[in-house]
Amino acid sequence: MLRTSHEADGRATKPGVLSGARIADEVVRRVRSRVVDGSDAHIEQLLYETIYREQLRLADNDSDPRVEVDRAFIRTLRHDLAHARSPQLQQLVHSVLTHYTEEISGHFDPRVYKLATTVIPPALGALLHGGRPSLRMFDVRERVLLEGEVSALQWAARAGTVVLVPSHVSNLDSLLLGYAIFALGLPPFAYGAGLNLFSNAIIGYFMRNLGAFTVDRKKQDPLYLDTVKEYATVLLEHGQHMLFFPGGTRSRSGAIESHLKLGFLGAAVSAFGNRRARDAESKPIFFVPCTLTYPLVLEGASLIDEFLRREGGPHFVDVRDEFERPERWYDFLRQLAELDLQVHVRFGTPLDIVGNKVDVRASGISRDRRGRPVDPVRYLYRDGAVVHDPDRDAQYTRLLADEIAQGFRGESVALPSSVLAYAVFRRLRARYPTLDVLRLLRVLGPHASITLSELRPELDILLAKVSQLSAASAIHLSPELQGAGVQDVLESGAKTLSSYHREPVVVLEGDLLRIHDPNLLLYYRNRLAGYGLCAEQDDPAEELRASRRFRP
Amino acid sequence: MTTESTAVGSSARVLQNEIEVAVIGAGNWGTTLAHLIASNGHRPRLFTRDPDKCATINREHQNPRSLPGVQLHPGVVAVTDFADTVRSAHLVLLVLPSRGLRETCRELGAFLRPDQPVVHAIKGLEIDTHARMSQIIQDETCARQLGVIAGPNIAVEVAAGKPAGTVIATPFPAIAALVRSLLSCQQFRVFDGHDMHGVELCSALKNVVAIAAGMVDELKLGDNAKAFLVTRGMSELMRLAFALGAEPATVAGLAGVGDLMVTCASPHSRNHRVGVALAQGMGLDEAVESIGQVAEGVYASLAARALAQANRIEMPLFTQINRVLHERLPVLEALEGLLQLETGRDVPGVLRRRG
Repeated sequence: MLRTSHEADGRATKPGVLSGARIADEVVRRVRSRVVDGSDAHIEQLLYETIYREQLRLADNDSDPRVEVDRAFIRTLRHDLAHARSPQLQQLVHSVLTHYTEEISGHFDPRVYKLATTVIPPALGALLHGGRPSLRMFDVRERVLLEGEVSALQWAARAGTVVLVPSHVSNLDSLLLGYAIFALGLPPFAYGAGLNLFSNAIIGYFMRNLGAFTVDRKKQDPLYLDTVKEYATVLLEHGQHMLFFPGGTRSRSGAIESHLKLGFLGAAVSAFGNRRARDAESKPIFFVPCTLTYPLVLEGASLIDEFLRREGGPHFVDVRDEFERPERWYDFLRQLAELDLQVHVRFGTPLDIVGNKVDVRASGISRDRRGRPVDPVRYLYRDGAVVHDPDRDAQYTRLLADEIAQGFRGESVALPSSVLAYAVFRRLRARYPTLDVLRLLRVLGPHASITLSELRPELDILLAKVSQLSAASAIHLSPELQGAGVQDVLESGAKTLSSYHREPVVVLEGDLLRIHDPNLLLYYRNRLAGYGLCAEQDDPAEELRASRRFRP
Repeated sequence: MTTESTAVGSSARVLQNEIEVAVIGAGNWGTTLAHLIASNGHRPRLFTRDPDKCATINREHQNPRSLPGVQLHPGVVAVTDFADTVRSAHLVLLVLPSRGLRETCRELGAFLRPDQPVVHAIKGLEIDTHARMSQIIQDETCARQLGVIAGPNIAVEVAAGKPAGTVIATPFPAIAALVRSLLSCQQFRVFDGHDMHGVELCSALKNVVAIAAGMVDELKLGDNAKAFLVTRGMSELMRLAFALGAEPATVAGLAGVGDLMVTCASPHSRNHRVGVALAQGMGLDEAVESIGQVAEGVYASLAARALAQANRIEMPLFTQINRVLHERLPVLEALEGLLQLETGRDVPGVLRRRG
């Protein structure tokens, strides 16, 4: 059961409870009416494409019971389609849409939410302690800092419907954001979570009941994509706040995402238009960019490994010893506490549908880049009324995505560890100017080192540049970096980078800094890529493409 | 008292010839576009800050300084009230020198509403920021429904009713349709494009190649030499434009090859004339003065150099032209320098795009 405010409908009905089933019905009805508008040949083509894509997907893995259900469904669909005539085609579309909508629907229950938010934080603490004394000191309130435009977010959630769009670093992001939403006293947010997260029984239970709906990234047929987007649109139209990761997936390189997925953003732009077309007084939709900055990343090692394998292809040779890298979240949390490290969750200025900043002090009007007031609904006008125009909205969505990506960059937090990693990596590159990144990683191996006398001037310059960026509001400095000298960054950065991971990334030894894991060094350095901190190309993906172009 | 329009004309409006267009800039191209719009039965408001010019256009239906001898359609109405003109327009058409755009847009932003589309017909890049014209419009106004008009369009020929083709490039199909209905006629063919970014880059950068073509013409190095140089220039242009996000095919369109052909051949082309003047031994200031109008290539070459450096793209021809323009390198020496370069691939095997 999904409780929603009813202002979205624009009807003067008494506030009621909108059931999950009604949302699902609405989604199926809308997508279906779009599809059956087409010719029989078009409908048939869509169904065949669904079968084709699903068969490709289902050919891969075999053990999951859900896969068995999907296989049976597609078998039946294929059989029925072979014999279908015009009226049955519509029926088949309906059955596919219903099948998909059932999978997507969450089971959000306000009672469970209330229970969870009052019980979970202490319970989480107890769970983490788990009888192990070392975790007693872990207190989520001390470890997770909520920063930036916090009050603007709270205002936006009261005055309108919020689409929270965070950069995606780690699997812990969802949990921390869940905590943030609760701690800031915000109403529940629905969010689309990857199907794989639901396969964990405990996490899956909470995700479903805390408002998550399922997104299966492996499903790529047009009917599924349309259905999942419409689901988000309908939720938003009913005033349900939402959270989704516009990068689509965790950043593998460690860099901040610059290319965002447009699907859900587009759904939110449509929702704004649909609402305003029905009711000129309906509440606005605000987009709030958000970044998470971790001094250490739980699954950093496996992320960068995946990045190097994927982008490096045959040119990537892993020279490190093989070892298992499970995600050791218990060790991770313990290290955060023991090292007195903090995760920064920063919220940016709310944006409207084309990416204009929203001024919450002026009751939420948008402002153009020169600060002049703008009425965002007018972006949807033609001849004085809101007009549905998917081409126009697709372009607005691109503009919005660009602004969000820019927001990510500006709201990111520079830490001693990332500054140190950046400086060390740059010195190592300079040492081997003819090597591309992949060959450099290979040559460095697990035993490279750098003298502090070589490193200090580089750190000095880098610190100055990062401070300049911060002065221009292009990045934020963590408290440790504010007014910090080279020695502070060296010590604090090295302390962080030498902990938690199976192999320390770097270790400070007298006058030397030893580099044990150059891949992770690259990962933490990438966080500061794309800020123009040095004259050379530092875009991680482009560096690897250059590596692949190398011909001896 | 101003009437507030309701932007992007619906098809009904188009049929009833009710589209009011604020044409900002009454130079030869702005005046020509206003003339075309009026000839199609719509309502151009041609803005100029010069009251005499305004009076002349409205009284004599001529713009003698910009289009001598051309009789304008009586529907071309010149105006001097900027705010009123902008407020009541269904579409704003910017036809100014690139250097004046930012300032004009800052003023425009005070009156513009989000539902008013803005289309420009400016071939340039901003010197300091290397920004495209549509980026300047977004910086300075709330407008987001944007488009660009570009192509091989020598204003005096179009105004004289000779056949020509152009492209309206915009990610918004509704704007493309609107501009087509405003401008298209039997003599003036308007084609659609969606690569606004690419069209802006092509039409700005090709002016640098046109300067080089003027030099080769003046030095009488032959037709082979000219074709050789123009094509190499095109190849450099394509690599840079692609790195900056343009689609490669755009270079082969009206705003790319089309505009380049006319600029490199026509004695009307200002950029070509700058090249000729430089080859005659004039300094840059003297050359620009002898033409008496703005040659965008002079500034675009600076932006091209900075962009090429930032994207690590080798552009030997552009570099040499830049040195002639801004470092007083003698023309002959610059062209000889190009002949001494090692020859590599004719066309790039792989195009590289940043990030």
